[in-house]
Amino acid sequence: MQYMLIHVQPTDLDHEMGQTWQHDTSLTAWLEETIPSRVNLQGSRLRPSSDATTVRSRKGELLVTDGPFAETKEQLAGYDVLECADIDEAVRWASKHPSLQMGAIEVRPLLDSPPPMPLPVPKEGRMRYVLLVCLGEDFQMGPQDQAEMGPATDAWVHEMDGRGARLFGSQLEGPDRARTVRRRGTDLLVTDGPFAETKEQIAGFDVLECADLDEALEVAAKHPMAKFGMLELRPFWPPEEQ
Amino acid sequence: MSTQPPATNARESTQHVVATVFREEWGRIVAALIHRTGDWDLAEECAQDAFTQALARWPSDGLPPRPGAWLMTVARNRAIDRLRHGNVRAAKLRQIAALAPAGATGPDEEAGVTDQLSPSEDSGVPDERLRLIFTCCHPAMAMEARVALTLRTLAGLTTAEIARAFLVPETTMAKRLVRAKQKIAHAGIPYRVPPASALPQRTSGVLAVLYLLFNEGYSASAGTELVRKSLCDDAVMLAGVLAELMPEEPEVKGLLALMMFHRSRQAARVDQQGDLVTLDAQDRAQWDQAAIEHAKQILDDAWAKNKPGPYQLQAAIAGCHALAPQAEMTDWPRIAKLYDQLLDMTGSPVVELNRAVAVAMADGPAVGLALVNELEASGALQQYYLLAATRADLLRRLGRRAEAASAYREALALVATGPEQRFLAARLAEVTG
Repeated sequence: MQYMLIHVQPTDLDHEMGQTWQHDTSLTAWLEETIPSRVNLQGSRLRPSSDATTVRSRKGELLVTDGPFAETKEQLAGYDVLECADIDEAVRWASKHPSLQMGAIEVRPLLDSPPPMPLPVPKEGRMRYVLLVCLGEDFQMGPQDQAEMGPATDAWVHEMDGRGARLFGSQLEGPDRARTVRRRGTDLLVTDGPFAETKEQIAGFDVLECADLDEALEVAAKHPMAKFGMLELRPFWPPEEQ
Repeated sequence: MSTQPPATNARESTQHVVATVFREEWGRIVAALIHRTGDWDLAEECAQDAFTQALARWPSDGLPPRPGAWLMTVARNRAIDRLRHGNVRAAKLRQIAALAPAGATGPDEEAGVTDQLSPSEDSGVPDERLRLIFTCCHPAMAMEARVALTLRTLAGLTTAEIARAFLVPETTMAKRLVRAKQKIAHAGIPYRVPPASALPQRTSGVLAVLYLLFNEGYSASAGTELVRKSLCDDAVMLAGVLAELMPEEPEVKGLLALMMFHRSRQAARVDQQGDLVTLDAQDRAQWDQAAIEHAKQILDDAWAKNKPGPYQLQAAIAGCHALAPQAEMTDWPRIAKLYDQLLDMTGSPVVELNRAVAVAMADGPAVGLALVNELEASGALQQYYLLAATRADLLRRLGRRAEAASAYREALALVATGPEQRFLAARLAEVTG
């Protein structure tokens, strides 16, 4: 089974925080423990929510806005995809991650575990983004849309994989299957449910590699869920600065 | 004849020339430097340095034959200098090569900068302002960030000036600008004119920023008169640049004409008490006829493309007002028709209300009132004081004073303060007196 570790941190830490994360030797230790053993399949720090762009398509019109999909007190700061026997193992790895000093980690199973996919080095002059597919809790789809969604998503994946704009992606199990890990002093706190009780929740994600934000927006605009939910585009923190 | 000593004269006239050149060249220089270096702060700083040098050297050296080219070369050399001395990585070094065209100079030759440019030579730098405009107005940035960045990089306003214009502390505005530039770099907002497929939507986004800028200056709600007026001027200047760079796009000219028609009435729209004067009561002798004529030419030019759009229609409406020698001679039937078209395009209830006003002027208040009542029944514009105010005005004109009074009271309840309130109160007194 694969699990997404969704690292979140308080929004006001957005800018300074990375410094501590990035030079923290405990992070290096965590990565050295998880990557060679093939537990950690891929992951990245992400640029702060102030660098996010959110896309929706309503009545045929594309709406692009500055900022994340929801103004929560904690915001996505990075992600990892782990291959684990079960969610308990994923939670164990999460609880060792140094990002807990600053925030929390939501552990969410990937739906239909896709084939393991380590990300190659980005091509020269291309940028990486995480595309978060977010849906409202009251999200409802008519039977016809439901019937069309599967083939439409397949077609989108096929097109974007084919042109090298999409590297990986998966739907996630619902937020009710999530667990969130926090540290309170020296105590570890593991709760059921997502990191924030917002109306919108992350339902899936894709890793994109594009020339620039305009291409990423174009890729996002074509996503079949753009009509129903909100798509947040978050740039990767560039590897040379991580 | 001036009685001032010649030295002061020369300095003053140089300052005046630099100010003029600044308006014309700032955006061009910044746009070119961003294009070559990808570094927004560097571009602004080097442009600033070049103008500082011009102020220091032109009074004694005399005005160079091509001031724009002189400034561009100084700014470019400054950028090369800065990049060479900075902690520059390989990628940046490659950009330096691109920054210096064949035979270009390093900082050593800077002293002889004017010599390398023969009088007939252009600055040799293509106009990159279109890229800059589209990047500054990218929809992935918040509207307020787009406006601030446009004013800073294209119009050359300082952070303090922009902060004053938008009534925020300078530190807030400085942060906003830093954030905007960070977002461009981090999120990968490209520095380019969008491809044809995205151009119409993105162009209307740019026009929206410029019109917002203009309205911010035009609305007399806050800020000093001077700051506000210069915002209007900046918006007109930028629309002029855009119209020059996108001659095939009639909506750009439409917006330019619209702003120019509005601006032509600036002197007449506020009375000595600072109260707004309605269009029909304005002293038309104070309208700037040359500006009106110029705006009309620009609009005619746009119409000739036969691609009407919301800005051209609004400009045509503003033109109907501006070209009427007296209020009574306003071509209301034509205005009503233009609003029809505008309504088709926008579906906006505010446009519908304005259309009702025009119909009332063309076909009488009773017809207009029927349209207003219809609009009101639809539930749109419930909290919009002009809806009640319009109904009140039409009832007043129909002699239904009691109903008019109650509508004026309704409108007054929706208006907090200011000239609008004084105007409505005066009308209320009229129908109850």
